[in-house]
Amino acid sequence: MQYQSQAVAKPYFIAAIGLFVGQIIFGLIMGYQYVVGDFLFPEIPFNVARMVHTNLLIVWLLFGFMGATHYLIPEEAETELFSPKLGLITFWVFLVAGALTIVGYLMVPYATLAAMTGNDLLPTMGREFLEQPLITKVGIVIVVLTFLFNISMTVLKGRKTSISLVLLVGLWGLAIFFLFSFYNPSNLVLDKYFWWWTVHLWVEGVWELILGAMLAFVLIKVTGVDREVIEKWLYVIIAMTLITGIIGTGHHYFWIGTPEYWQWFGSVFSALEPIPFFMMTVFAFNMVNRRRREHPNKAATLWALGTGVMAFLGAGVWGFLHTLAPVNFFTHGTQVTAAHGHMAFYGAYVMVNLAMISYAMPMLRGRTANSGAAQTLEMWSFWLMTVSIVFITLFLTAAGILQVWLQRMGDTPMGFMAAQDQIMIFYWLREITGFVFLLGLVMYIWSFFCKKGEAQTAA
Amino acid sequence: MDTPHKPHFIRPCTRIWLALMILTCTTFAIGETGWSGTAVMLTVLGTAVIKVEMVANYFMGLRRTRWLWRGLVLGWLILVSGLITIAYLMTVK
Amino acid sequence: MINNTRTSHEIHATPPGDLAIWFFIYAELLAFGVFFVAYAFARANNVELFNESQQHLNRTSGAINTLVLITSSYFMVRAVAAIKQGLSNSCARWIAAAIGLGFVFLAIKIAEFNATFATGISLSTNTFYMFYLSLTLFHFMHVILGMVILAAIMVKALRGGYSAENHIGVETGASYWHMVDLLWIILFPLVYVIR
Repeated sequence: MQYQSQAVAKPYFIAAIGLFVGQIIFGLIMGYQYVVGDFLFPEIPFNVARMVHTNLLIVWLLFGFMGATHYLIPEEAETELFSPKLGLITFWVFLVAGALTIVGYLMVPYATLAAMTGNDLLPTMGREFLEQPLITKVGIVIVVLTFLFNISMTVLKGRKTSISLVLLVGLWGLAIFFLFSFYNPSNLVLDKYFWWWTVHLWVEGVWELILGAMLAFVLIKVTGVDREVIEKWLYVIIAMTLITGIIGTGHHYFWIGTPEYWQWFGSVFSALEPIPFFMMTVFAFNMVNRRRREHPNKAATLWALGTGVMAFLGAGVWGFLHTLAPVNFFTHGTQVTAAHGHMAFYGAYVMVNLAMISYAMPMLRGRTANSGAAQTLEMWSFWLMTVSIVFITLFLTAAGILQVWLQRMGDTPMGFMAAQDQIMIFYWLREITGFVFLLGLVMYIWSFFCKKGEAQTAA
Repeated sequence: MDTPHKPHFIRPCTRIWLALMILTCTTFAIGETGWSGTAVMLTVLGTAVIKVEMVANYFMGLRRTRWLWRGLVLGWLILVSGLITIAYLMTVK
Repeated sequence: MINNTRTSHEIHATPPGDLAIWFFIYAELLAFGVFFVAYAFARANNVELFNESQQHLNRTSGAINTLVLITSSYFMVRAVAAIKQGLSNSCARWIAAAIGLGFVFLAIKIAEFNATFATGISLSTNTFYMFYLSLTLFHFMHVILGMVILAAIMVKALRGGYSAENHIGVETGASYWHMVDLLWIILFPLVYVIR
C-alpha cells in the first residue's frame, strides 16, 4: 500500500464479500423454491427471494467498484484521497441504507413498504432490479454523488492517467443513468424503454468502462507491462464497447412496442458486442505473456485472466446466442436469459471485483501477497466457483432450450407451468451446483484467514 | 540531412486514383441506364470488389505487408460480396 | 533517409499506422459487413419494395460523393508521402485538402438527407428506407469521426510533431480515412445502384 488513504477501500471490500455471501444464500433459497414451490412460504416468498438475490448482487458489485476506486485512484493519481473521512462516511451511509432496504424487503409486504416509504409521492418502485424504495434511491444518489465528488477532486489534484479517466467516465455514467430509475412514465412502452437506460446502459455500457479500468490496473500491477501499451488497448476496447453497447440497447426493444427498425439495430449491433470482450481476453493473455516481472500474487493474475475468458463466454457468447431478433422471438423471457445473466454477471463483474480484492486485500493488510498455501486455497476457490457457474449456465441453457421447445414451438405448445414440470431435473442439478459455488465462496473467504505458510512482505 | 527521394508509391497511387474515378463513373452510368439483371448486378458488384482491393492494397498499403493483413480484408470482402451475391441470386428464378 | 529507396519492396510485419487502429478497422469492417449482408437478405424478401424505393434515391449525389471520398483518400496518400520526405507543411496542406473534401461530402449528404426527410420519409417508412437511412447515417458519423482524427493530426503536423522518421500518427489517421472511403465504395453501388 503506497498511500495511507487507500485503507478506505478495506471496509468496502469486506462489505462487498459479506453481501456476496448473502446474495448466494438467497440464490440457493430461490433455487430451492424452483423445485419446492412453498419452501419458506409465507416468510420469504419467491418474488422477495428473487428481489433480494438480484438487489444484493447489484449492491455488492457497487461496493466492490467503490472499494476498487478508493484503492486504485490514489495510486493512479499519486496522491492521497481528497478526503478519506468522506470515503468512510459514504461507506457507512451506503451500508446502513442497503441493510435497511433488505430488512424492509424481508419484514413487510412489498406494497406496505411502498406505502411506508412515500412511493405515492413519486412512484418509482415495482420494476425489476429497481425495486428500491424512493428513500433508498435518493440515498443512493447522495452516496454516489458524494463518492464521485471525493474521487473527482482526488484525480483533479493528482496525476491524470487513462485508467482514472476511463474509470471516472464509467462512474459518472453510472450515476447519470441511474437517474432514469426516477422516471416512470405511465405509458408501459416508454416505461420499459427508459428502464433499460438504467439497466442495459449500466451493464452493457458504463460498467464495462469500470471493468476495463479495473482490469487494466490489475494487469499493470501484476505484469509490469508498459502503461502506454495497456492504455492504448484500453481505449480501443472502450470505443468498441460503447459503439456496440449503446446501439445494442436495441436488443431489448424487439417486442415492447417500439418501432420495427430496432429489430435490425438491436440484432446487428449487439451481435458485435462479443468483439470487445474477445479483445479483452486477448489483451489480458497478451499482457500476462509479455510480463516484465513475476508478481508473487498468482491468484490475482488468475482472476484477471479468468475475467477475460468468462466475460467473453458469459456476456459475449451466451449473449450472442439469443440476441438476434428471430432467435429472441422464441427465447425471450425463458431460462436462456437466466443462463446468460448468471454467467455474464459472474464472468464480467463478479470476477473483476474478486480479482481486485484478491490483489488489493493483501496489500491493505501490509503484505505483497498471501502465503503460498493461502493462494492455493484461493485458486481452488477460483476453479470451484468458475466451474460451478459454467455448469449452472449449462443446466439453465438446457432448461431454456427445452422450455422454448415445449412451450413455444410445435402445434400444441404446453402451458408455462406444465413446461416447468418437464424441466425440473435441470433445476435440481442447478441447485446442487449452487452449493458447490457456495463452497468455493467460503474457500475464497477462508483463504484470507489462512495462517499456514509465510506471507510475502517484500515489496 | 540529404533530400529524401520522392516516395515510390505516389505514382502507382495516382494511377489507382484515376482508375477508381473511371470505375465509379462506369458504375454510375450503369445505374443511369436503368439496366437490371444478373449480369449487370455481377458487373457492378465486381467493380466494387476490384475498387475495394485497390484501396486496401495501394492506398492503405496492405500489399507491402504480411499476407495475414491483406488476407483479412480479402477474406472479409469475399465473404461479404459472396453473401450479397447469394442473396441477389436467390430472387432470380 | 534510406526509408524510401531501399525499403521500397520490403514486406512490413504490420500494416501502416498503429496496430491498434487496425484492430478497430477490422472491427468496423465486420460491423458494416454484417449490415451490408443484412441489407441484401432483407432485400431478397422484399425485392419489389426495394427496387421501387431505390428509384427515388439521388444517384447523382451518391456518385459525386464517391468521387469526393476517393479523391480525399488519395490526398491522404499524398500527405503520408509528404511526411515521409520530412515535409511537415506540405503534409498538413494535403490533410487540410482531405478534410475540405470531407466537408464537401457532408454538405452533399446533408442536402440529400434534407430532401429525403422533406418528403416525410423516416426510419419507419419501410425496410428499404430503414436500411438506406441507417447505413448512410452510420457512415456519415464515421466520416465525421475520421475528420476529427485528421484534424488532430493536421494540427500536430503543423506544429512539426511528425518527421520523416516518425510519422506513425499520420499513417494511422490515413488508414482510418481510407477505410471510410472503402466502405462507401461498397455502400454506394449496393444501396444506390444494384437492383
